[in-house]
Amino acid sequence: MVDFTKLEQEITNSLSKVTDLESLNECRIKYLGKKGEISLLMKELANLSGEDRKKQAEILNTLKNKTLSLIEDKTEELNDKNLNEKLSSETLDITLPVSSSLGSIHPITQVIEEVVTIFGDLDFYVAEGPEVETDYNNFTALNTSEHHPARQMHDTFYVETQTDNMQNVLRTHTSPVQIRSMLEHKPPIRLIAPGKTFRCDNDQTHSPMFHQVEGLVIDQESNMSHLKGCLEIFLKTFFETDKLKMRFRPSHFPFTEPSAEVDIGYTKKGNQLVIGEGDDWLEILGCGMVHPKVLQNVNIDPNSFQGYAFGMGIERLAMLKYGISDLRTFFECDLRWNKHYGFSPLNFPSLIRDLS
Amino acid sequence: MKFTYSWLKEHLETEHQYNEVVDKLTAIGLEVESVQDTGLAYKDFIVGQVLEEEKHPNADKLKLCKVDIGREKVDVVCGAPNVTKGMKVVYAPVGCVIPVNQMKIKAAKIRGVESYGMMCSEYELGISNEHDGIISLEQDTEVGSSYADLSGMNDILIEIGITPNRQDCLGVLGVARDLAAAGVGKLKNREFKTEKGSFESPIKIEIQDNDICPAFAGSYIKNVKNVASPDWLQKKLKSIGLRPISALVDITNYVMFDQNRPLHVYDADQVKGKIIVRSAQDGESFKALDEKTYNLKNGMCTISDEEKVLGLGGIMGGESTGCNFDTINVLLESALFDNVNTARTGRDLSILSDARYRFERGIDPRSTLEGIHYATQLILEICGGECSEIVLAGQISETLNTIHISGKNIVKRLGLEITDDEIILILNSLGFGAKKSGENIHCTIPSWRQDIHGEADISEEIIRIKGYENIPTSNIRAISKVNKDILNSTQKIISKAKHFIASEGYNEFITFSFSDSKKSIFFGEVEKLKIINPISEDLDILRPSLIPNLLGSIKKNTARGIDSLSIFEAGSQYSSTTPEDQINSICGVKYGLSNSKTWRSEKKEFDIFDVKNDLLNVINYLVPGNKKISISDEAPSWYHPGRSGKIILNKKIEIGYFGELHPRIANKFKIKTRVNLFELMIDNVPLTEKKTTNKPQLILSDFQSVTRDFAFILDKDVKSSDLIKAALNVDTKIIKSAEIFDLFEDKSLGDDKKSMAIKVVLQSEEKTLDENDINSLSSKIVEAIEKSTSGTVRS
Repeated sequence: MVDFTKLEQEITNSLSKVTDLESLNECRIKYLGKKGEISLLMKELANLSGEDRKKQAEILNTLKNKTLSLIEDKTEELNDKNLNEKLSSETLDITLPVSSSLGSIHPITQVIEEVVTIFGDLDFYVAEGPEVETDYNNFTALNTSEHHPARQMHDTFYVETQTDNMQNVLRTHTSPVQIRSMLEHKPPIRLIAPGKTFRCDNDQTHSPMFHQVEGLVIDQESNMSHLKGCLEIFLKTFFETDKLKMRFRPSHFPFTEPSAEVDIGYTKKGNQLVIGEGDDWLEILGCGMVHPKVLQNVNIDPNSFQGYAFGMGIERLAMLKYGISDLRTFFECDLRWNKHYGFSPLNFPSLIRDLS
Repeated sequence: MKFTYSWLKEHLETEHQYNEVVDKLTAIGLEVESVQDTGLAYKDFIVGQVLEEEKHPNADKLKLCKVDIGREKVDVVCGAPNVTKGMKVVYAPVGCVIPVNQMKIKAAKIRGVESYGMMCSEYELGISNEHDGIISLEQDTEVGSSYADLSGMNDILIEIGITPNRQDCLGVLGVARDLAAAGVGKLKNREFKTEKGSFESPIKIEIQDNDICPAFAGSYIKNVKNVASPDWLQKKLKSIGLRPISALVDITNYVMFDQNRPLHVYDADQVKGKIIVRSAQDGESFKALDEKTYNLKNGMCTISDEEKVLGLGGIMGGESTGCNFDTINVLLESALFDNVNTARTGRDLSILSDARYRFERGIDPRSTLEGIHYATQLILEICGGECSEIVLAGQISETLNTIHISGKNIVKRLGLEITDDEIILILNSLGFGAKKSGENIHCTIPSWRQDIHGEADISEEIIRIKGYENIPTSNIRAISKVNKDILNSTQKIISKAKHFIASEGYNEFITFSFSDSKKSIFFGEVEKLKIINPISEDLDILRPSLIPNLLGSIKKNTARGIDSLSIFEAGSQYSSTTPEDQINSICGVKYGLSNSKTWRSEKKEFDIFDVKNDLLNVINYLVPGNKKISISDEAPSWYHPGRSGKIILNKKIEIGYFGELHPRIANKFKIKTRVNLFELMIDNVPLTEKKTTNKPQLILSDFQSVTRDFAFILDKDVKSSDLIKAALNVDTKIIKSAEIFDLFEDKSLGDDKKSMAIKVVLQSEEKTLDENDINSLSSKIVEAIEKSTSGTVRS
């Protein structure tokens, strides 16, 4: 009769002494290999019979399972040990620098996208027109005749081509898009028209090229209270504040009547403008009810239709919202400026996530 | 327009403080641009009297004075030659700041003698250039009183911006009238005598062209003595920044700023015969009061005599009949000139004048006679003399325009509930004659409101006076949508492209739409792009391409030490200066280092394949789904001929270009290293209508794929695309992809040879490919490539 207790003791002992995977494997072969001690004993069972065979088989199986389980535990223990050794030798200087490869979106693009997002939600579509315009679309159709004093306030760039014997111009405002759109679509109309505009002016506070966004609503009932409602939603959403103070005051544009300029309340904290607080006023946009003559010029009957229009400077919106102090820097192409004031390309203005 | 609060109060009786009036001005559309307390600079100056005056012991030209300033007696060392005992002076105490040089007065020892404060000249106070002596005040001036009060400097200077429609407010009277209507006071009625005139004017007036000058009134005044204006008139003009000249000129200026009535005064002795108002003839010239000679054109309105042009009607008088201190007899003009003609003449001759400014906006016709009577009276008072009867040539229309308006329409336009009665009340306060007329309101428009033509104009008057703050706020969200799409397809493409390109590392620049013709000749026909009045010589055309301005920015940035620049611009370029010839384009530029030398990589410069990659990526993003992209080497002339390509979409659409900038152009821009760029022609990107939101069905093969590599020795000019095409064409079903993975040139390969290696992926959708299938396909691939490229496979 084999001394199973002794064998078990021996197995336990030798396994406990094992310190690496190689010796562990040798141990495994010694007991469980084809010619291993346990395997040989298993084979010998065939020579036994009856109760003995049954009894011995039971003992052997238990021993085999125990050995397997011991080897498994040992394997895990040794793997763990090896991994720990490896880990302790694998440290890196994680402070070494890496670099980002994203570029940036210009603040003008960002602000236009914000404006489009807000007005898109209010059901305004985005209309466009060319930057070279006819004198008629830029002035005459907008109730600004050739000798209207308002024309002199526009320092107009002229180009060498003509339309209907009048010199073409670089549009001085986005308002000619109103004319193009009204000739193309019948009311109801709700549009905004962002784009480049040009005036022959170049100093600290003027750039010969700048951006505006125009708004136009024509239907049967839109009136000044709707204009006020529209701008209130826009300005509060754009400046991301509910506290916005807004002031309408009379002004004059040839293509609106009544006309208004809109101021918003602000205060200065250090070098920063805080919109929505304080008692100082800042002019932000011009607007009014579309002049009946403008509607007549685009074959819309002013007795049946009316509506409002507004226009504002994109640079001004950007400067106020993002604390950019100098208008001219927008077009200076200084990479350092673009990286500082620019926006992540993955940042699509949204009303359900973030506007900015 | 500038005026002082005291001047305003000559026309407006009001209990309100000036700041309330200032707020009201802005509220009714007369936007206040600045408010200045003009007395502030003078608040510390007081009236003193010289009690004693003796020679300074240590200086011949200085005097020691004891000055009584009411609260005390002080010692002052003074250098003025005119200081005398008993003189009343303007005294600046210690601590006071002298306006002309901002010097702060300190107690000081002057040549060993203590001096407290200073006695001032007009120059030091900044009120004139007189600095030969100190101011000597009237003897009845009270010692110790405030000089600011005494001088009338204690006033508020208000500057308002007048919009082009409000011609009626270009005089203080008009501003007062508007304020009275808005409820801040009562308009005063200034009384003045209407001189009858004791003789007939010896100068007759003839208007030859009534369209350009409907009316011309003249008043002949003889035996005047043109003097310096009296103090009150000088102070008035100075208070709004005008320089007094002589009484005759000052009076006409005063009436213009007070009542918005431009006038002109001629030296009558220089007028030959009668006054003729006529259109100029081409070739006539005229020397104006600004001492410049102007060449006149037919249609310009001249005031002439029988020999020469005396003035440009409504714009500027002439030198020959200007008044000076020797003038004895004068002709005073008060006329009406056509606004369009005045504007055109002024613009053609580039003359800016206060008269032009007013006439081109429209002048109240009724001010013609009121103005001439008032000014005549002032001349008689100040300069003496005798006036003739007023001569009036032409006609001043007596009838006022009228319109009918509907209260309902006003309410509909303003979105504000307002009764007809209130509308009538407001209109009448503004001088309109408004009354109910059936369902409507009948309005007579006052003669001074040249800007009121229709109901819309009236609606502005109502809300202006009622107050814009009373307009309610209404919801504009409509139940049914007006627009199907917010952005059109092109707008979406541009927006997506910008964000995508920026995500590839490019920074968005926005440059001017102008460009320098000298640097743009490489990119288009610059002579078709000229701006007539450019802002500067180097921005003289509309840009034919986005490239030149971006190239211009390279140098600026490298000068600031930037060694890696990835920039792009999305915008318009132009092929001519007609509205139709505007092209949407995006240009990306990579310059300098792609990688700086870092701890994990070597330094590497951008190359053409960087921009090719970026351009292809954006095209794949913008045109998703099945498409055919081919690349040819026919890029535009501004690219390096051997290092550039054109991308063609679906065999015919030129969608973009990429490559290295032509070295000749780089040279012109003083750029020393290679510039790589791409252009994406946005207008050529196909606008794909989404037919379905479903994506095409995905078919995946479960059978194993096999990869085989092949290398070939080829002539140098063989293109990788030829290898790939040949490989793919062997079996379009089983050959899933073919890519170039290795490329090198070496002498050992032979002259003009290169080695190129291709990796081919094989996978059947029907079975697992066995060794035979693979070998057979492999030999076909080798054969096909060898055939199409005349190369040999490397074993």
